[in-house]
Amino acid sequence: MTTAFKTDETFRDDFRYSNSDAAILRFPFPFPEDTYMYSVNMEPHFPGGATDAFNTAFDVDEHYVGECRERALVLAQDPNRCLVLPHMMQAQWDTLELLMESMARDYPEHFTLERDGDRWTWHNRPLGIHDTFTFGKVDTLPYEPFEYIARQAQGDFTLQDQRENTLYLDGGIATTQADWSLEFNVGMTFHEWHGPVPVAHELGVFDRALQYLMRVRYGQPVRRLNWTMTVNPRLDTSPENYPLWGPDRTTLTPENVGKLLHLRVELQTIFRLPRSNALLFGIRAYLASIEELARVPKWGRRLHRVLRDLHPEIAAYKGTDRYRDTAVAWLSQFDDGAPTEPGIAAGISSLPA
Amino acid sequence: MTDQGIRSRPSYAPLAPDPTGRTHLLVCDGAEPSATAFAPGVGPGDFAEVWTVQGHSKAIPMPHVPQAQHDFRSTSHLLISLRHRLANERMGFRLYAVGAEAFLWDVAKAAAAIGMGRDEYRLHATGSAARRVYCVHCRTMNEGVTTNVVTCSACGAQLFVRDHFSRFNNAYMGVQIDAEVPGETLPIEELYR
Repeated sequence: MTTAFKTDETFRDDFRYSNSDAAILRFPFPFPEDTYMYSVNMEPHFPGGATDAFNTAFDVDEHYVGECRERALVLAQDPNRCLVLPHMMQAQWDTLELLMESMARDYPEHFTLERDGDRWTWHNRPLGIHDTFTFGKVDTLPYEPFEYIARQAQGDFTLQDQRENTLYLDGGIATTQADWSLEFNVGMTFHEWHGPVPVAHELGVFDRALQYLMRVRYGQPVRRLNWTMTVNPRLDTSPENYPLWGPDRTTLTPENVGKLLHLRVELQTIFRLPRSNALLFGIRAYLASIEELARVPKWGRRLHRVLRDLHPEIAAYKGTDRYRDTAVAWLSQFDDGAPTEPGIAAGISSLPA
Repeated sequence: MTDQGIRSRPSYAPLAPDPTGRTHLLVCDGAEPSATAFAPGVGPGDFAEVWTVQGHSKAIPMPHVPQAQHDFRSTSHLLISLRHRLANERMGFRLYAVGAEAFLWDVAKAAAAIGMGRDEYRLHATGSAARRVYCVHCRTMNEGVTTNVVTCSACGAQLFVRDHFSRFNNAYMGVQIDAEVPGETLPIEELYR
């Protein structure tokens, strides 16, 4: 199916953003059961699964053009949202190759890669980009290779160097992040950059996740879903701009919460890179209002139960304290107490009118 | 001191020479290292070489004289020589640092820059617990912060000092405490003396 791109979406100011029925049905809903707790919820990232968002290596959906425009805007305002330490140049080229090969394979109607030795030509039709460059020669591209290709993809990316029995966050691009700072975190180990997350350390989640990730092999990527909540469909919820978006959290009322409060899901994908042996993390953010999600009966019931029963420390860490009661009260209208099917799938093929 | 439950804040074990090392250099940001920095029964004399900061403009190291102690004028002065020294060191070299936390991570950065692993240098914080706080909003370093909330010297934001520490940036993160509701802040407490 060829995706029709929405070309005038905005993720700030007037927030011209919504999901089509098809986009709601393919939303990667993150709760496989009616309660939530941290876990090492990783699985192989092979095409297919409980949501169509899992069908390709790097999902391109109806928001592609708008999200790339938003990314360019953030980088123009704050160039340090893309930072890669100098020893990661090989990982930059690995990333460019992986994304170009994957996007051209999975979406031939939108992207084409022609390789003639080191002479590569890249066509990106949705963004109107057509460049010929020499693989391995930085000065033949308008940006360094990681930034060049990340500007043409949805979601954030980080580069992890593996050494001293841990992973180091030695590069990345973060313009759609859930309140973490690339500029502050760059150079941290896996445990350091997860330092602020409550509860999970005590559960041993990060020790086990690190062991799992360090064993990820080339050609065998893995994925997991993570989530938080965001008021308004705002992609740039960075700590840098918290003074701009923090006040949104005080604006919710019983009348507007359904439209303004968004579930923010991260599809995290982890790829071993072939030359550098680094790990590429894709951190792809999906936004849907709770009103949109409640059109799926199973998800409306389940979101009510998950939010109502959420561990207080996790609820506070995710920034929900000011509005969680309002959201739970609003969602209760969709919860008739009926049991829900296990798993994240919507369980329906079209939305009720 | 309050514990915010954040795991990126370093903790520091007492120092002793690493028996797997071949040569040992101890650097200190004061005139002499505090006795509390060392494991029981260990002192500065157990390290082959000790570099200290005298806070005096006439202090000068004597690199051509074989001696155990060299004096520097300031931490900046010491770090210049340290970077040159590290560039010429080989496998088996071990580096130890004693002093304020910001000094320790300046030393660590110099060590990491020439490829030393985290098990090849050891750090111990002594003296003032005052923090270097990075304003995540305007990217300014605020030095010598002793309170839980501090006004950013550059952008004026009221910053809450998180326990989140970056070894690479050598700073704690400061985040505007009243971004959601202006004026909704905490009583100021002196926590980091």
